[in-house]
Amino acid sequence: MPERMRKHAVLLPLELICMAVLLLPFSLGGTACSVWGTNVVRISGSTTLLPLVQEGADRFMDMYSDKTVLVQGGGSSVGIAQVKEGIVDIANSSRELKPEEDDGKLVDHPIALDVIVIVVHPGVSVNDLDVEQVKDIFTGRVTNWSEVGGADAPILVVVRDRASGTREMFDKEALEDEDVVGSAIESNSNGIVRETVAATPNSIGYISIGYVSESIKPLSYDGVIATSDNALNGTYTLSRYLHMFSYGEPTGSAREFIDYMLSEEFQLGVVAQEYIPVIGIEDE
Amino acid sequence: MAREKYIKMLLMACASLSFLAILLIFLFIFQESLPAITRIGIPNLFSAAWNPDKGQYGMLAFLIGTLLSTLGGLLIGAPLGIGTAVFLDQVAPSRMANVIRRGVELLAGIPSVVIGWFGLIILVPFIARITGSAGYGIAAASVVLAVMVLPTITALGAETLRSLPPELKEASVAMGATRWQTIRKVLLPAGKEGILVAVVLGMGRAIGETMAVQMVVGNSSQLTLNPFQPTGTLTSNLVTNMGEAVGNFRAALFAQALVLLILSMILIVSIRFITRKKEA
Repeated sequence: MPERMRKHAVLLPLELICMAVLLLPFSLGGTACSVWGTNVVRISGSTTLLPLVQEGADRFMDMYSDKTVLVQGGGSSVGIAQVKEGIVDIANSSRELKPEEDDGKLVDHPIALDVIVIVVHPGVSVNDLDVEQVKDIFTGRVTNWSEVGGADAPILVVVRDRASGTREMFDKEALEDEDVVGSAIESNSNGIVRETVAATPNSIGYISIGYVSESIKPLSYDGVIATSDNALNGTYTLSRYLHMFSYGEPTGSAREFIDYMLSEEFQLGVVAQEYIPVIGIEDE
Repeated sequence: MAREKYIKMLLMACASLSFLAILLIFLFIFQESLPAITRIGIPNLFSAAWNPDKGQYGMLAFLIGTLLSTLGGLLIGAPLGIGTAVFLDQVAPSRMANVIRRGVELLAGIPSVVIGWFGLIILVPFIARITGSAGYGIAAASVVLAVMVLPTITALGAETLRSLPPELKEASVAMGATRWQTIRKVLLPAGKEGILVAVVLGMGRAIGETMAVQMVVGNSSQLTLNPFQPTGTLTSNLVTNMGEAVGNFRAALFAQALVLLILSMILIVSIRFITRKKEA
C-alpha cells in the first residue's frame, strides 16, 4: 500500500509537466503578442476584410521591418468585442456598430466602400429587379422566374451565412429584416456564392462588387446598375462601408498602420481593385 | 531498472493525458451548452424553426439532416463495402485483391475536402440535371458519405472474413455447397458481429463528417425529407455558423455539438454491446 502511494505521488508532477509541455505552444500563442510590445499591431474581426487587411499588413511590414502586424478573422462581432477587451488593437468590421456595442469610446476608421451586387446564373433572362421583386424572391414569396418576367423555372436562392456582414447588410437594406426563405442555400464566402450561382441554373445570389466575374450575370437593382459612381452618388443603395475600429484614438504602430491603410498608395493601388476607395469621398 | 520505471511512467502519463483531453472536451462542451438548456429551453432547441436572429434555435432540421444523410450514406456504402470485402477475401485472385485493397486504402487517405469538392463540381450538377432540382441536399451528401465510409467498412469487413476459421468454408464446400451458398449461408452469418461493427464504425465516420457534407448539402435551415432539397446537418450548421456566434446563438451551437457527441457515444456503446454479446 505505501509502495503504491509513492508511485502516485511521483506520477502526479510528471503528468503536470507533460501537460505543461503540451500546452506551452498554445499559451505562448496567446501571450506572445503582448510580450513583444509596441511594435506589434494586433487585428481581428471581419473575414470580408481579412484579405484586404492582410495585404495591407504585408506591405506595411515590408516598409517597416521592425514592426509586426498580426491579422486574424473571427468575424465582426468577435473583433469588436476583442478590441474593447484590449485583446487586439484594431477590430475589422464589415458592418456599423450595434447600439449595444457602441460605448462611445470606439473610433471609426472607414477604409473602403463595398458595393453588393445581385447576381444570377448566366442563363437567367432577367436583367433588372426592383426593390419589391428582390424582397419577394429572397423571402420566398416569389418562387418562379416567370413571376418577375423570366422563363418558367423555379428560382434558387443563394445567400451568405448568418455570421456574414454582407448578409446582415443585405437583409437589412434589401429585405428590411424579413426572414430569408428556408430553402435558401447558405455559403460561407463571396467566392463560394459566385461559384454556386455560376454552377447552378436558375439561381440568384449577392456578392461584393470585387468578386463579379464573367461566370455570372450582374443585375441592376431598381433600374440602377451597380457601379462605384452610382454607389457614391447614392442612387445605388446596396452599399456599405468597411470599418476599422480602435478603442480610443489609436497610437503608435496602430496609428501608423491605419494611416497606411488610408494612404493614397494603398487606397488607389489595392483597395480600388475590389472596393471603392474612401479617400476620394472625403475630398468631396 | 530506473530507466524501465521512468519509461513506464512516461507511457502512463501519455495515456492519462489523452483520457484527460477527452474528459476536458466533454466537460467543456457540456458547460458551454448548459446556458442553451437553461435559457433557451429544450422545446425551443428541438423545434423545427432555426432563426437565431429571432430567438428560434431549433435543431430538428439539422438533426434529421444528419440522421438521413448518415443513413443514406450507409445504404449505399455498406452493401458496396461488404460486397467489396467478400470479393477481396473470397473471390478475387490474390494479386487482383492486393491492387483493389491498395486502392481502397488510398480512398481512405483522400482528405474529405477533396471528396467534397469533387461532389460539388461533379455530383451536384449531375443530380441537378437528372432531377431538375438544385442538386444540393441529402442525396448528394449520402453519395459523398458513401465514398467516405467505404474504406472503413471494406477494410474491417475483409479483416473479419479473413479471421474466420478456414474449417467453416472447407466444411461447407465439402457438403456440396456452391461458393455463393457458402458466402451467404455460412461466412456472412459467422462474421455477422464483425461486419456489424464495421458498419457502425463507418456510421461514426459519416455522422461526424463535416467538410465534404457542408459543401454539397446546401446549408439551408429548412426541415425536409426530400433528398433533392437543400438542407443542413448538425456538423454543417456548426461549421457554417461558429465564426461569429455569440450569446444564446453560441450556446445553441454547443448544444448541437453535445447532441452530436451523444450520438457518437451511442454508437461506441452499441459496438461494445455487439462485441460483448458475441463473447457471452
